[in-house]
Amino acid sequence: MIHVRHLTKIYQDLSDGRFVALDDVSFDCMPGQILGLVGPNGAGKTTALRILATVLKPTAGTAQINGIDVVQHPDLVRRHIGFVSLNTAIYDRLTAWEMVQLFGRLHGLDRSTLLARMEFLFDRFQMNDLRDTLGSKMSTGMKQKVSIARALIHDPPVVIFDEATCGLDILVAREVLKTIEQLRDQGKCIVFSSHIMTEVRRLCDQVAIINHGRILACGAMEELTKHYGHTHIDDLFYELLTSDGCVAASQPAGGAA
Amino acid sequence: MTDQLRDRRTLFTVVVLPLLLYPLLGISLIQITQFFRERPSVVWLAGAEWLPDEVPLLKGDQLDARWLAPGDAKLIQLHVTETAPAWMNAPSDAPVADSQNEASNLDPIAVRRGLAHLGAHAAVFIRPALPVLAADQASDGGTPSIGSRSIHIFIDSANDASGVAAKRIDQILRRWKSAVIENNLAQQQVERHTWQVWPMFTEELAEANSQRTAMWSKILPLILVLWCLTGAFYPAVDICAGEKERGTFETILSSPAIRAEIAWGKLLTVASFSSATAILNMASLTFTAMFVANRMGAASSGTLGALGLPPWSCLVWIPLVIVPVALFFSAVSLAAAAFARSSKEGQYYLVPLIMISMPLMMLTLVPAAHLELGTSVIPVTGLMLLLRGLIEGRYSDVLPYVAPVCLAMLACVWGSVRWVILQFNSEAVLFRASERFGIGLWIRRMLQERGLAPTIGQAMLCFLVILLAKFFLSFSLEIPHQWNGFAVQTVTILLAAVAVPAILMAVVLTKSPRLTLKLDRLRWIDVALAAVLAIALHPLFLWLSQWILVIYPASEGLVRMNQIVGELLAQAPSLWAILLVLALFPALAEEIAFRGFILSGWQRLRSSWSAVIVSAFCFGAAHAVFQQSVVATAVGIVLGIIAIRTGSLIPCVVYHAIHNALSVCLASNTPLAFEEWLPVLERNAVDGSLSYSLGPALIMSICGMVLLICLWRDRGRTPGVECSQPSFAPHPSRTLFHWLRGLVHPQRLRR
Repeated sequence: MIHVRHLTKIYQDLSDGRFVALDDVSFDCMPGQILGLVGPNGAGKTTALRILATVLKPTAGTAQINGIDVVQHPDLVRRHIGFVSLNTAIYDRLTAWEMVQLFGRLHGLDRSTLLARMEFLFDRFQMNDLRDTLGSKMSTGMKQKVSIARALIHDPPVVIFDEATCGLDILVAREVLKTIEQLRDQGKCIVFSSHIMTEVRRLCDQVAIINHGRILACGAMEELTKHYGHTHIDDLFYELLTSDGCVAASQPAGGAA
Repeated sequence: MTDQLRDRRTLFTVVVLPLLLYPLLGISLIQITQFFRERPSVVWLAGAEWLPDEVPLLKGDQLDARWLAPGDAKLIQLHVTETAPAWMNAPSDAPVADSQNEASNLDPIAVRRGLAHLGAHAAVFIRPALPVLAADQASDGGTPSIGSRSIHIFIDSANDASGVAAKRIDQILRRWKSAVIENNLAQQQVERHTWQVWPMFTEELAEANSQRTAMWSKILPLILVLWCLTGAFYPAVDICAGEKERGTFETILSSPAIRAEIAWGKLLTVASFSSATAILNMASLTFTAMFVANRMGAASSGTLGALGLPPWSCLVWIPLVIVPVALFFSAVSLAAAAFARSSKEGQYYLVPLIMISMPLMMLTLVPAAHLELGTSVIPVTGLMLLLRGLIEGRYSDVLPYVAPVCLAMLACVWGSVRWVILQFNSEAVLFRASERFGIGLWIRRMLQERGLAPTIGQAMLCFLVILLAKFFLSFSLEIPHQWNGFAVQTVTILLAAVAVPAILMAVVLTKSPRLTLKLDRLRWIDVALAAVLAIALHPLFLWLSQWILVIYPASEGLVRMNQIVGELLAQAPSLWAILLVLALFPALAEEIAFRGFILSGWQRLRSSWSAVIVSAFCFGAAHAVFQQSVVATAVGIVLGIIAIRTGSLIPCVVYHAIHNALSVCLASNTPLAFEEWLPVLERNAVDGSLSYSLGPALIMSICGMVLLICLWRDRGRTPGVECSQPSFAPHPSRTLFHWLRGLVHPQRLRR
């Protein structure tokens, strides 16, 4: 499970000075749930996920993965998470098999477990044709599959997806979403950032709408829409962002497909 | 590793370059060299009528075969002309001065025109004997004597072919000239043994094998180091900056591998490529060079022809030495590349590394360079000299220095890896967006967001400003000839280049200049303790400086400079004036800058020890003379400890002033009023210099060290914290005074 309280992240930049990327953000995500971090570009979604992935350190506040603090014990946290980053981050000169194997070794899996796990994942994501394909020869969809397989190699209880369907065609995007659903059904705790409302509607049990680093609304999808008097999450998202001064009244809801 | 093995650029440097390019280059070189070597030199000879008939230089219009070496006939073409400068055809009756006889007074433009007209590379003009007036005869109009005939060779240094032609004709003329001399003496019935006395011969003792070894021992270390650097360059950029650029680094950072493991892993990968590049390139270059040398040597038995095979001991020593060299260059390349955001940026950062490495490599080619303790700790240079000694088989000379050489290299590796880990932990470096940088914006931000004390960046900026200001001021001002000028110049440099920048930066860049410069607290007991420490530790630093001068002897320039300063000091009105200029002013100015501004900036580091060390290195580096820098760094550590633990600048100024004053007094040959009272001082009966007596001074130093260690161990005194926090200042109750009370009442300290 994920437990985030009062998370704040401030960047120091030479040109822009002090930039508050996250401002007192709190949310929870339980096993078997998908939490959608929803917000426009630059809202602070990636920063929040990078803190959960222990790549960044928060300026204030706490974040715990399965009860382990990300700042106190980052090494331990990394064993409990799988992180699918915004860009697929695939090594151009490694094959799909080598790439997944590398991360299995980094997670300390023994030879037989690693082999069994890789066979399972390559079958599961129908990637057997890609085994010997170099990263530079893969399409974006293929890269995303390898990226997900790489994140799941150690069968982590928590999986973090940063805009997992970004740049994918509709067929591959659908497959990725299906995978995320199946992971949820296996009891994994999933955080998923997106600005595409159809995906959020389809996947998320919990939603945190974020803008300018602040959580505008957070809770179960149905509760939220009921609370704000909307039938769809899209309308709620649009209303909250408009009132937060993000979108002009004439624009359609952010990214809704 | 697999990723890098499939990188075309890396493979090109490691494999393609040595296996393909060098052999091709070697073959091309042979062809090109042959082509160039066949060109004959054309020489214009005029004034042949003045040549002696007894020993003829010419046979017809060509050189007599007696004076030609094998192959010369094809390489020299002579153009003998009758058109000669006017002074050859008709020697003037007017006598010339002696000096004029030595050089021709021909118009060079006319000779150049003549050369161009004939297509010749060099000209040889035979000059007739002229009446000569000796220097003393010239003034009183004495009778001139007849001078000797002379030969003038004209060359055009801007044209290489002209130089070659002149060299060839010169050798031929020398052979002819020897024969002329011999003939003249024979005519005078002078026996050969009476004029050919003490003929000198240089005999070669070294076997051909040793000569080869000596040559290879110079070439191989250079190639090794050069290729280790080249081999580390691209993999380091690609594996650090390249991974950041491609986004793969983020996923590695979210894996369970800790930063240190990632850094060491990357280092080993880069070092593997670096050593592979060096080995393959060396092997290929060696074989190509041998092939080329043998081919060229077959034609002419020059130096290249004697190159032959490298000694077999290379096969043992090079693989051993390649490990520290590859690790060193991989580590420093990684350190530069870890800071870069993109491959292109990484390449920019690595260029200075090459610029720094080159002089270190070239240092070993200086004939005087040999391995000793001083050179052994210079990275790269020490290792190259060690390898040279090992290849030459001088084991007893070089093996004692294996430990310092390896330690110096590994210390650099360790420091670089620590820096890489620091960069891997720095979010600013890992996720820097392409920042827009404007001076105005930057200054505005700096002023808006200034803290109570400076940042590390501002501390570094202050150090660089001081360094540059000192450099430019020292070079723009001439060494004065009078004491007054010297005193004014010294104080001006200290104020303008050291104190003023630090004070200005403290006022402009920080909210609390008093806190930054550690001026807001003063306890007289701290001052007294600093004074005691300065006196107690001075013998230690004096011995250190003497030891440094043994390891790194002062250069002639430095000795001359010291003499000049000594003469200037002798003109000083009193010792007090010298102490004011060389002890008090430097103490004030340097403490404001180094323990005031710079140390305050570095105190943002978590570890106070790191802050002390770094500020001490800055202090050492600001001293222009290397021998001084080493001692200054050591003194800087003591001053840093005092500054951090007392939280005040005044004890540091007192320590610094006393330290400098004692150094000045001991260097001065004039008797001091107090020296008779102090059993710790003794005056050398021979040269009159003052020094410490070993026993008492040793006890003093030990007491000083114990005092210093106790002071440092009182960690509760000053935490190395964020300077903007109020806790930056030492806790009011935990000053040196408190610590002294703690010595008497330990229970109070524990509380």
